Amino acid sequence: MSIEDELCKKLYNAIMEGEVELAEETAKKLLDAGADAYTIVKECMIPAMKVVGDKFAKLEIFLPEVMMAADAFEACMKLIEPKILAEKKKELTIGKVVIGTIQGDIHDLGKNIVALMLKATGFEVYDLGRDVPVADFIKKAKEVNADIIAISALLSTSLPYVKDVIKLLKELNLRDTYILMVGGGAVTREWAQEVGADGYGENADEAVKIALELIKKKKGE
Amino acid sequence: MLSFYDILRRTEEGKYMEEKEFDLKVIAKTTRRLVKEYDIRFNREEVVTSDISLADDIFKAGFELALESGIYCVSTRRVIKFTEEELKEGLRTAPGELIVGEGRDARILYARKIEDQRPPIIMGGQAGAPIPEEFYYHMALSYMQEPLIDTINHGGLHKIKGVEVRTGSPAEALATILELRYLREAAKAAGRPGIHLLAAESSNTCIGDLAVQNPDGLRKTDAHLIAILNDLKTDYDRLTKAFTFKIYGGFNVALVDPVVGGFLGGPEGVAVGFIASYLLSRLIYYSDYYIIHPIHPKYVSTSSLETMWVLNIVGQAMARHTNFILMGDVWTSNGAGSYEVFYEIIANTITNVVTGSHPLGVSATNGKYPNASGLETRFMAEVAHAAVKFKRSDANEIVKTFLKKYYPDRMEKPNYGKPFPELYDIETIQPRKWWLELYNKAKKEAIDHGIPLE
Repeated sequence: MSIEDELCKKLYNAIMEGEVELAEETAKKLLDAGADAYTIVKECMIPAMKVVGDKFAKLEIFLPEVMMAADAFEACMKLIEPKILAEKKKELTIGKVVIGTIQGDIHDLGKNIVALMLKATGFEVYDLGRDVPVADFIKKAKEVNADIIAISALLSTSLPYVKDVIKLLKELNLRDTYILMVGGGAVTREWAQEVGADGYGENADEAVKIALELIKKKKGE
Repeated sequence: MLSFYDILRRTEEGKYMEEKEFDLKVIAKTTRRLVKEYDIRFNREEVVTSDISLADDIFKAGFELALESGIYCVSTRRVIKFTEEELKEGLRTAPGELIVGEGRDARILYARKIEDQRPPIIMGGQAGAPIPEEFYYHMALSYMQEPLIDTINHGGLHKIKGVEVRTGSPAEALATILELRYLREAAKAAGRPGIHLLAAESSNTCIGDLAVQNPDGLRKTDAHLIAILNDLKTDYDRLTKAFTFKIYGGFNVALVDPVVGGFLGGPEGVAVGFIASYLLSRLIYYSDYYIIHPIHPKYVSTSSLETMWVLNIVGQAMARHTNFILMGDVWTSNGAGSYEVFYEIIANTITNVVTGSHPLGVSATNGKYPNASGLETRFMAEVAHAAVKFKRSDANEIVKTFLKKYYPDRMEKPNYGKPFPELYDIETIQPRKWWLELYNKAKKEAIDHGIPLE
């Protein structure tokens, strides 16, 4: 099966348009027709999210459209995922990211953009929202066996809390378990280096690029 | 105007809604519909547009958005809504003129009109930036001593006496008290003790603002910022800032800074969202004046093509339909000490001044690094005073000429310049020779392009 097939194309378009119900309905039809679950995701769904991410980067579409596309993608994944073999699942996911805006900071628009761009690229993203307590990043990362913890801070007064996450990771002997990325208005490249973060994104594009590089390195590719 | 208690009641009794529903089903959907209905289009060729009907449509669409959406209270997850009459009352009662600052340093801050030939009020400082304590006073003085700078909005302190300032901690109060102390001392040293301050930038929560509501801190002739959260949202903390400072008798300033590409959509939707945010902030924050600060999703800066178009059209829409006083931010990607920063200042400042705003800046490096000084703000002031001679069509050509010199390449890879102590002699508070020479070179280039700098 490929994007040339009618139903696959329909699913691809439904995700791009953020049509949750149509996407679910089409995914069901594909499964009922005997299509391989792994192939549906790889050939019809991931390419749609890739286009959505590219269009957003060029400001051809905006955050609401990306969110709706991500919702459609996730709704389909709920249906399809149980039918994919565990080994194959790993191939579909580049890596797992736990992301959030740090404690004391309620600015989450930039973080939302990064989270969606990571999703569009193929990461499995666990978005904790905003004003996230220091320990919650680590708790969630342990729970989902994350590869990356990504922390956003818009305010300079939030930065000490980011350092607290790093400190706590060290105290728990978990610092080397996770890739730690930082970003947001208050974070500079120099500060990221100074506190020992593994990666920094000046903007969403760079965050995705660095996340890809770091995950490849972690997996020894 | 509605009372504090009316507003509070609405935060408790408004319609309950999940935030995502408000973002997507109310804000995104309504804005998209209005942009389509009014056929609002972003024109890349007209950064400074002469199309009045476009400004009028954006105002009407913004009014409708404010009426339909209301504003979301994050603390209670309820939507605060207003009637058409209440929104109009906010418009009617908005002060079109304010006396800000004290004594001989007082200024009349007024609502500018399109192509207004009156000199704009210059607000100087590296607003929004975290400034190291070791040179906070010296840097502030570099702005205060500039005769063309009328009022001050400088950055905050992020570390005091070696202690990092954390959101919600007592350090926010201490840092804000210290910030005001440094600003007051710098104002006295510059011989301008009554200069108007838009301050309390060291605190994100209301802690700092509450700590400086006294004559040694923020005076009744001073102001502080209260942000509209993105998009069209508020919370208890921001309402506390607004109510208490209004009772104290100072000026509330609404900071509206939506991201292009966010829930409001592209530049067109963001422009509509600005209008709605201003109308709503007038009612919930009792705002006295307003900041225009569109954020570029990649470059952040207000000096990009998309964000300047927003500055231009929002300024014009507000100037034609309200007497709200607008301060247009000048946030540059490049830093002081670079040559490129002057290009951004020229384009951004002319756009603001010709379309109904006073300039506020220069927040070089988008406030990330303390790479800023009084000198490039002197340049902003000079450009602003020259810009009053321009018609919008002339301004558009000049803005586009300078935009090409930095957009997008020098925003993609900005030259961050140098921190304040490398730009100025810290003892004499005078610009270093090389920095002054760069400024003079930029002045000459501006004059060569027909900008009549004095």
